Amino acid sequence: MAEMTIADAPAPAPAAGGIMRRLNVVTGLLAGLVLAGIGWAISHATLQNGTYGSDQVTCITLVCWLVGFLAGIGAFVGPVRWLAGKDLTEDERLFLAGKDQGVGRYFRFTTDHKVVGIQYLVVGMALFFVGGMLAMMIRTDLLTPGSKLFGLQTYNSVVGLHGIIMIIATIVMVTGPFGNFIMPLMIGARGEAFPRLNALSFWLLVSVVPVLLSAAFLGGIPTGWSAYAPLADQAPPGQDAFLITIIGFAVSVALTGANLTTTAVTMRTRGLTWSRTPIFVFGVVGSAVLGLVAFPMFMSSQIFQGLDRTVGTSFYNAAGGGSVWLYQNLFWLMGHPEVYVILLPAFAAVLELTPVFCRKPLFSFRGAIVGMAGIMGLSLLVWAHHMYVSGWAPDLNGSFMLTTEMISVPTGLLILVIIGTVWRGRVWTRLPMLAVYAMLWNFVIGGITGVYLSDVPVDEAMHGSLFVTAHFHYTLMGGALTGAIAALTYWFPKMTGRMLNEKWASIGFWTAQVGFQVTFLSMFAIGLAGLPRRVGDYPPQFATGNAVATYGAYVIMIGMLIYAGALITSWIYGVPAPASPWGGKTLEWQVPTPVPLDNFEVLPVITSDFYGYGENGAGPPAVPPGRREPAEPPEPVEEPVGAQSAASQPEGSAQ
Amino acid sequence: MSDPTTVTPPPVPPASPDPRESRDRNPVGPIVLLWAGLTIVLELFAIFVPARVMGVAASTNMADIKRAVTVFSIAAAPVAALVWSIALYSLLRWRHRGPEPPTQDGPPIRGNTAVQTVWLLVSGGLCLFLLVWGLAAMQATASTASNPLVVDVTGQQWLWTFSYPAAGGVSSNVLYLPVNRPVAFDVTSEDVVHSFWIVQMGIKIDANPGEVTHIGVTPDRRGTFAVRCAELCGIYHAYMQTQVRVVSDAAFRSWLRSGGGRVTSAATHGTPQPAGARASALGGLELRRGNG
Repeated sequence: MAEMTIADAPAPAPAAGGIMRRLNVVTGLLAGLVLAGIGWAISHATLQNGTYGSDQVTCITLVCWLVGFLAGIGAFVGPVRWLAGKDLTEDERLFLAGKDQGVGRYFRFTTDHKVVGIQYLVVGMALFFVGGMLAMMIRTDLLTPGSKLFGLQTYNSVVGLHGIIMIIATIVMVTGPFGNFIMPLMIGARGEAFPRLNALSFWLLVSVVPVLLSAAFLGGIPTGWSAYAPLADQAPPGQDAFLITIIGFAVSVALTGANLTTTAVTMRTRGLTWSRTPIFVFGVVGSAVLGLVAFPMFMSSQIFQGLDRTVGTSFYNAAGGGSVWLYQNLFWLMGHPEVYVILLPAFAAVLELTPVFCRKPLFSFRGAIVGMAGIMGLSLLVWAHHMYVSGWAPDLNGSFMLTTEMISVPTGLLILVIIGTVWRGRVWTRLPMLAVYAMLWNFVIGGITGVYLSDVPVDEAMHGSLFVTAHFHYTLMGGALTGAIAALTYWFPKMTGRMLNEKWASIGFWTAQVGFQVTFLSMFAIGLAGLPRRVGDYPPQFATGNAVATYGAYVIMIGMLIYAGALITSWIYGVPAPASPWGGKTLEWQVPTPVPLDNFEVLPVITSDFYGYGENGAGPPAVPPGRREPAEPPEPVEEPVGAQSAASQPEGSAQ
Repeated sequence: MSDPTTVTPPPVPPASPDPRESRDRNPVGPIVLLWAGLTIVLELFAIFVPARVMGVAASTNMADIKRAVTVFSIAAAPVAALVWSIALYSLLRWRHRGPEPPTQDGPPIRGNTAVQTVWLLVSGGLCLFLLVWGLAAMQATASTASNPLVVDVTGQQWLWTFSYPAAGGVSSNVLYLPVNRPVAFDVTSEDVVHSFWIVQMGIKIDANPGEVTHIGVTPDRRGTFAVRCAELCGIYHAYMQTQVRVVSDAAFRSWLRSGGGRVTSAATHGTPQPAGARASALGGLELRRGNG
């Protein structure tokens, strides 16, 4: 096998790292392209003329790319060496962790959780950029009646690509960067439980991105991201690219989930009992566990789809004894838990930073955990509310309505935790905290409109309309993405070693928020008035609403670009950040910035939780000594937070 | 909903430029005022806006749905108003500006059993109310009338065909219905999943290949309304729409006697062929490899 020969190639250089020293994203690209070329040549020569020829060739070529890329970047070196009885040496392990490698380690199969976190952050932002531009194409096409910008077939593909890219981006947007970078620090660990799986999960994500984008050149995915059968069975080979993407991404999610869960369960430092563990850890683990349950459903739905397309099975083909409802059930068994896979860590990040900016303990830590657990449990039992009008099981609609409406109770509990924490707090109005307010606004709207949709008779009118589109954008974009922006703004100094230019970031953030309201409130209106979603053209009665939505979308784009510009320039030119700019008590703020390779010189021992604001003597020494002594004068002289650590910062930061 | 007139504003301490002093006054009164004001605004919105945006109702189903949307909005308004008024008040009164963190911590409140209990009870109660309302509405819809007019609905890429089995297979691409008579639709598809939606009657059911699904409605308003496809079904999904004409019983009968409407079959359907799609000889897009 090709990957074996690459991985097994003898490494003459005695330098630490061995073969890994020679492998990086370029060798990955080369190996992937070479193996894909070989796979294409062989499969094209032997299979192309069969009934399912083009689909078989596409699938084989793309799988060869994935295997080749991962082999070329060194994903299989560890296992192969282990099988050969020559496990990695300590030097090689340190090399793999990116020791003393500078920027190059971001382009290798690096196992350090902090490197993986940054990698996820960058790739996630790139995905948001592509997905956002696709959204702009959609809105521009819908600016006036008549599909003018591009044809309807392209329109459908753009809608599908926008959907799946944004789904992937939102799934990784909190767990990827902050789950990987911050969570191990938070629990006082030196790394993650399975460092190589960590790197594998990231590079698997990277390797499926070109597969997904290749769909655009293989006829597109004219099915939307839900890829309902049998429409997907009619679709061109772009659909094969879609299903290979999903299968690869599901593996990536599973690896991340297993890794983060094991890390949080087994690697918490001494004294960090569950009742002292920061709430963000619970959110990440909850999301990871939910993903472990949900994504195999998506994966199997796409494997069956692939079999239907490439070897002529009839899982979803009614004429052959299959059922379209089988696909819909598998898809939504993933589809609804997935919403909470996205929401939980974003919500948890918000719960984590709200006490810091309000200088108050989390209001009802247990309530927050009960809320998350309730959401996790119920989210597995609500999937068929997406199928009220499918005709699958009308008799079950009542019970799915019950579970769906019940989920508003634990969700409401999380809202109470935020509100209770803000209550009589010292609300420090920096951007992370203000983003919490924006999220609260959006999420309340998203939640209430979700209640309408949970009602079976109302859903009979609303299902499949733009009202639904507006609803889930309010929850996933207005809620989860805004929460992720809060998290990014909060942890940016720790992760990049630079302070964010808050003025420009705020201008961009609020511009995008205003545009967001304009776009999606008008989308609610035209949805209520009866415009279906995913249409490339519409009757003139919906012209005004669509035009307003499009102009709002442009405002979102401008705001997001300003925010991204502030982020990038701050990352490169920003003021070096102190170790703890916000005065947070959790452990990630107690380590120097940039974080050393081993995170902690001495592993901390925990004696209380991290929310002891206002409680004399409680909590670990969270802020530099001398600050916030119990008996403070009413008007103390304010000294810069973390002044001491700031002074000791080296000039070069992580970036 | 709270009555703003019963609220006594708390004594205002001497005006102070320092927000930290005013921070400690009792916040309940002003928040209740904010809440009441915001609730009134949202209630007005709830009562007048959503149902109006939804347009005319051409069946009791749709009238019920509009009422449900209004009632849910009315029930949700105080909840949203409460969250937002506390948030707004905290931003106005408790904020700390500037580049440095607040020098004092807030009160160490780690929870409040009474507040949490009330919150859970109220949200549970609202949830129960929604459930009962929804189940009652479903029950009303499910009770099928006797002697309905049966209409077979067939979706295919990208048109609807309606046929009337009781009238000897009269069929049409425009749906004709007599006013005030219960109709039972038997819905199926010839190719992919479509969704049969009569917008102003508030009914929708998927048209699935190989299955027949059912939905019923009683049109109670004469006029012409939109039938749309609500499930992405391929390139011309946006144009898979037709009309339903609700007419008097006499007009309906004479329309049936005249043999119904001109039927467009897939073979004569005038939509241009999509370039990238795999079209069958019939012109419609069939499953490219039906095994049956």
